[in-house]
Amino acid sequence: MSAAPESAGLAGSPPPGKSGMSDRWFSILLIAPAMLITLIFAILPLIQALDVTFRMGDLSRGKIGDYVGLTNYRIVFADNQFWQAGWVTLKFTVVAVGLEMILGVAIAFLLHGATFAKGITRSLLILPLATSAAVTGLFWRYLYDTQFGVLNWVLGLLGLPEPNWLGDYTIALWSVVLFDIWQWTPFVALIALAGLQALPKEPFEAAELDGASKWRVLTTLTFPLLKPVLFLVLVLRTIDCVRLYDAVAVLTRGGPGTATETMTFYLYRTGLKLFRMDYASTMAVFFLYVMLVAAVFALTPLLKQFTDRAKEA
Amino acid sequence: MRKSLASASLLALLSAGGAFAQECADPVEITWSTIAGFYTDAMANFVKSFEDDNCAKVTVVNIDNSQLYNKQVIEMVGQTGAYDVVTLETAEKAEFAENGFILPMTDFFADKQELLNDVSPTLRAMTVEYKGDVWGLPYYTYTAGMFIRQDLIDDAGEQAAFKAKYGYDLADPTTWEQHRDIAEFFTRKAGETLKGEVLTKDFYGVGLMAGPFPEIQDELSAPLWGMGSDWLTAEGTVPVDDVEKVLGEYVEELKFAPPAALTVTYDGVMNQMKDCQIAMTHGFFLDQWPNAVKTEDNCPGAKVAAIEAPGKKAYVGGFLLAVSSSSAQPDMAMKFVAHIGGYEIQKQFAELGGASTLTSVLTDPAFATSERRATNGQYATLNMIFDSMSGFSSNLFKTPFGAKIYNTMQIPLQAAAAGQITVREAAEQLAADVAKICGGPCPIAN
Repeated sequence: MSAAPESAGLAGSPPPGKSGMSDRWFSILLIAPAMLITLIFAILPLIQALDVTFRMGDLSRGKIGDYVGLTNYRIVFADNQFWQAGWVTLKFTVVAVGLEMILGVAIAFLLHGATFAKGITRSLLILPLATSAAVTGLFWRYLYDTQFGVLNWVLGLLGLPEPNWLGDYTIALWSVVLFDIWQWTPFVALIALAGLQALPKEPFEAAELDGASKWRVLTTLTFPLLKPVLFLVLVLRTIDCVRLYDAVAVLTRGGPGTATETMTFYLYRTGLKLFRMDYASTMAVFFLYVMLVAAVFALTPLLKQFTDRAKEA
Repeated sequence: MRKSLASASLLALLSAGGAFAQECADPVEITWSTIAGFYTDAMANFVKSFEDDNCAKVTVVNIDNSQLYNKQVIEMVGQTGAYDVVTLETAEKAEFAENGFILPMTDFFADKQELLNDVSPTLRAMTVEYKGDVWGLPYYTYTAGMFIRQDLIDDAGEQAAFKAKYGYDLADPTTWEQHRDIAEFFTRKAGETLKGEVLTKDFYGVGLMAGPFPEIQDELSAPLWGMGSDWLTAEGTVPVDDVEKVLGEYVEELKFAPPAALTVTYDGVMNQMKDCQIAMTHGFFLDQWPNAVKTEDNCPGAKVAAIEAPGKKAYVGGFLLAVSSSSAQPDMAMKFVAHIGGYEIQKQFAELGGASTLTSVLTDPAFATSERRATNGQYATLNMIFDSMSGFSSNLFKTPFGAKIYNTMQIPLQAAAAGQITVREAAEQLAADVAKICGGPCPIAN
């Protein structure tokens, strides 16, 4: 008898409870702490950064100065190094994420079909992820070393050319990409593997009964069903690559010259080496804007898909 | 009676101890931000004596060299008082002084002129003085000369071959043209001979610090200053033609350096030398002598010498200890600076193999013995460099934008070294970057 009013209270319009608080206000109360933290640690700094973009902000002069209108935006948009850093970031992201997705999914399929050593392989895959890029980057810097590095030692034994991995400006960026692939391909593989293992069996059994080829099963069943998971990994990896800093800081410090200077590294250099918080904030705000626009385009179909599924459920 | 005397003595001793404990129950706390590594570790050993003598508690904050400047600026701007004593690179002094981040110590040293005058005038002008004031004391110097494999220079066979090829005697280089010739001459492939011995691996004429670190500008300071130019003219602009010339010569010398030159800094070059890979350095920090001399243990027949750089000019570097203007204990902090930079501590530092900043220590005959060669063998050369460079000063150290310029200039210079841009483009980019940093010509203090 007592269940009916409670159910009605949850599903229908919210009659005030004994405490006089509606469900709507109760919900707001529940998310309030999270919103407060977001406000203090994300929104307010963002507003301040936005404010600094319109002011003179040479921090080494002791304070944030007067309003200068859109001057900082004009200077940043006319800065070749800023656009060059953007181009480096784009190249890095496209190549690294592309290769990580291909290799990660391939490894996931191999592991999914594996009949032995599955558990230990999965554990080994976690290793590169378990250490920070600052530490593994240092390790890779020694691997890449032209004098004492293992890579060139092996290449030398095989009689192959020994590249200057981090000193040759034509290949330094790809050396960083290689490091990123080593570190993050397992992440893609593990998520894709989890997705594969969670796929419903019925459609595949039906397809098998219908005599569908493996390729057809792959293209019409596996990938479409796996799409939300892969898309999520793609978005996460893209965001991570776009804000790449640690690997560059440890491996190349943006060099040789500016060959591996990503947007985040250039932002760091502007803000914390030159202390031009005005330029750095302007870059950061522009960077955020681009990322938001890209995220909206990228995530809309995914969110729609999730919403539709929730409604269906 | 003896027993009661003993008791009385013990009581007196305890009372005295108690009095001291009471006296020092509330030590004055100061914090010193400095570079992580040998030099600070050595200095940290000397903090205890200061604490005991002054009823102070000194907290040493070790920060990686690449982050020290940023961290200190942030604390100074915020006036947090987190650091009472800060450690500054030569190029950072003017910025910190000009912006009021550090306190002038002119008055403090008014009755300590003897100590101040003990710092070599060249080092003092570069690291301590700005706009007529004194801003602290340097606690060690990494002033540059160069290291050379003297055994190669003195080898009769090599001398004959060199003279036949270049038409003049092989000797320690006194010009950068000679430096280039020597670098070229000693660059050999595995299988060729060096001092009559067949090489088992490639050998290079010179080790260069052309990696993405600020040391490339330290190297280039030597030929640039040696030709009578500077990073900044009296008008506060970059002399593009001069920079192009020295950078061009430097890039030419890269052909005679190990490929790793494009990724390494000073420790990499020291490894090359100790690994019997190179014949000499470019302008190089002489505080690395204890490292360089280990080449003699690793390479049969090797004899290393520290000499003046060609042109008798090179980077003059010293880490300045200065007192933060936001320090809550400026008096104690100044005492600490005088303690670390003072004779007693500098002498002990020298005994550990540190490169002291005081003339009295650098010229002390006790450090000129053959027994001390492995740790202090560069002192005589350091003194010669300070003499040779007497009266010299760089505009890079006289502009309040010096730190920012210093932290930026390696980017175009290294881009040219790596071949990403031409030497001319690098010089022009440096000029443009400097103008952007200073908002036009850089102000130069007199």
